[in-house]
Amino acid sequence: MGFFLNKSDAANDQNLKEAYFTASQGQLIRARYKSNRTAMFAGWVLTLMILLGFFSEFLSPYEPTMAGRDKKYENGPPQIPKFWDENGVSFRPFIYGTKRERSLKTNFRWVISIDRQDRRYLHFFVEGWEYSYINLDWDLPGEAFDLDVKALTFSTHLFGVDKGGVHLFGTDKSGKDIFSRTLRAIMTSLKCGIMGVLIAFVLALVIGGISGYYGGWIDHILQMITDAIRTVPPLPLFMALAAFLPQEWSAEAVFFVISSILGLIGWPTLARRIRTHLLSERSQDYVLAAQLCGASSNHIIRRHLLPSFTSYIIVDLMITFPYMVRLETALSFIGLGLIDPVSSLGSMMQNVSKADVLLNYQWYFIPVIFFIVFVLAFVFVGDGLRDAADPYSQIKK
Amino acid sequence: MSILTMVIVSFIVFSLMELVPGNCAERYIAFKNTQGQNITVEDIRAEERRLGLDRPFLIRAFSWMGDVFFKGEFGDSCILRLNINYLLSDKVWISLGISLAALFFSYLVAIPIGIYSAVSRNPIANNSVRFISYLGLALPSFLLALMIMLTTTVLFGESMSGLFSKEYRDAAWSYAKFMDFMSRAWLPVFILGWAATAFALQTVRALMLDEIGKLYVTAASARGISGRKLLWRYPAKHSLGPVINSLGFDLNRIFNDLPVVALIMTLTEMGALLIDALAFSNDQQLAGAILVVLTATIVFMNFVTDIILALMDPRVRQGLMG
Repeated sequence: MGFFLNKSDAANDQNLKEAYFTASQGQLIRARYKSNRTAMFAGWVLTLMILLGFFSEFLSPYEPTMAGRDKKYENGPPQIPKFWDENGVSFRPFIYGTKRERSLKTNFRWVISIDRQDRRYLHFFVEGWEYSYINLDWDLPGEAFDLDVKALTFSTHLFGVDKGGVHLFGTDKSGKDIFSRTLRAIMTSLKCGIMGVLIAFVLALVIGGISGYYGGWIDHILQMITDAIRTVPPLPLFMALAAFLPQEWSAEAVFFVISSILGLIGWPTLARRIRTHLLSERSQDYVLAAQLCGASSNHIIRRHLLPSFTSYIIVDLMITFPYMVRLETALSFIGLGLIDPVSSLGSMMQNVSKADVLLNYQWYFIPVIFFIVFVLAFVFVGDGLRDAADPYSQIKK
Repeated sequence: MSILTMVIVSFIVFSLMELVPGNCAERYIAFKNTQGQNITVEDIRAEERRLGLDRPFLIRAFSWMGDVFFKGEFGDSCILRLNINYLLSDKVWISLGISLAALFFSYLVAIPIGIYSAVSRNPIANNSVRFISYLGLALPSFLLALMIMLTTTVLFGESMSGLFSKEYRDAAWSYAKFMDFMSRAWLPVFILGWAATAFALQTVRALMLDEIGKLYVTAASARGISGRKLLWRYPAKHSLGPVINSLGFDLNRIFNDLPVVALIMTLTEMGALLIDALAFSNDQQLAGAILVVLTATIVFMNFVTDIILALMDPRVRQGLMG
């Protein structure tokens, strides 16, 4: 092809080549990632989800806990805002008012009816319940250590209605807004996953690092332990650990411990990979050079060995993340993890496990869809990153 | 090596069991209390001595492990006051049967389809295989089980749950019971195999793609071998090595899903018993025993795959012989 190129194209080509050869590792990875369309799309979906989770309080009109429940709208179907109906067009989106009735006619069940004459208009940036982005409330033993800090407190929400309630995804059996709960659940899963991954990462780095750098009998013993932990099926082990949590602990404490357990179980695979990498990298010349210069082990590990595979570690973390989320979800699903007043994707999925729900309250499944999209997006991004970080991979066009 | 792994694992499990607040003596005595006897702290201490719970932690750990390894004896469950071996006997075999069937099923599906999708240039087949394997990652098997359960309940009015029909539930094993079991067991087998299939599919496909471009394949086809014979004799043989190697971990994955699927489908086997022991009755002896059994199976599986690999691959054999 180069034969047919004219001169300026050739120069252009030369520039491209030069850019390619002088590009840093990060630039190369970014370029390769960008050429992978599925991964890019998944990346955007993931970013959107993370933003949804992060701004969950602002976006959700009601508190996702019992405090925000709508007593008059239990098991209520989703209300979809409309711009027009048979009574005319409105620029402001509106929903219909609802009435709840229980009589002989409805077989003594609460039945919610829609009053199409009663329009309720959506307002934007309304004041509602308060939320703080920094909210530390530690109840440590001893009065002096109690910590109660609230900062960045807001009470503005994206939308709301003046009377009654608006429930985009409907409500559950105690009247909690499923939309608000789903957003909060995404945040919970994110936090749980991040904490689990971080703890696993630190453990893996320390254990894998020691094992890989020193080798010999230390490596042998550490590998034996790692292997032993790796053979135990994680979910049963996780269940066993979680089952020992005292029942009376607060939701935050349980959440904290659950995420730590995730980390405590998740480290072996990562540690293994770090070790293998270090073992092969340890005998390279640049390490020998550093050693001859009198650098300490600590210095060599931190300054020379770790940077040599940071990108792989990041990729690995991304790949581990969905498994952490899945584990947490499975655990909450069987009732050993986070339980109902806490909004987590697993605890919300627990609500759909009845045939009654599929027949009558299909909107309970909305969080399930979010969960699948969330995990899929993570898997795709992780895969895309892995391909991008692998210098030998060829992007197939 | 595998024995050592088992020792470490069982030690971890025992330590976990010890973490549970309260011990067996207290449980027994508490039971007596509900029977209307008055009890004192001395009674608890006496009971502890009788059960040997006043010995130091390490000695108890090793005596428990010794019983498990040499006699295959897990002791009694304090909550149910029954021998654990008696409790588990039937269920272990059912669980293992289902899990191994799931493993077998997943490889039966994954290997041919994985090879086909690697070889064929058909984009539709390729993309659908990719999509299915990603879905297998994203859709946890408990969700799949839930969906199937709910739809069958709604559509057919009868749920597919349970391993036996009513009339056979307490009957002794017979041919009829076995057939009944088989007619119901395929669903859990499918659900458990689902995730493992997705993983294996991806592995087989990736390995096959790697191998198929190698020179020895070209050389073989230059010698005039073609079609299925070429595939099975050369690249497939090589790419199956790592797949067999991962058998143990696939089993691990299936065991991972076992309890949750068991809960949804109300199976009466080991996974369900584990959940029961952990979530509802805090029965640490039973839970510990189940964990050990599960892990032992995986370790055994790893051992077997090592042998299979050595038989299949002369390079590995040579490495083992030294």
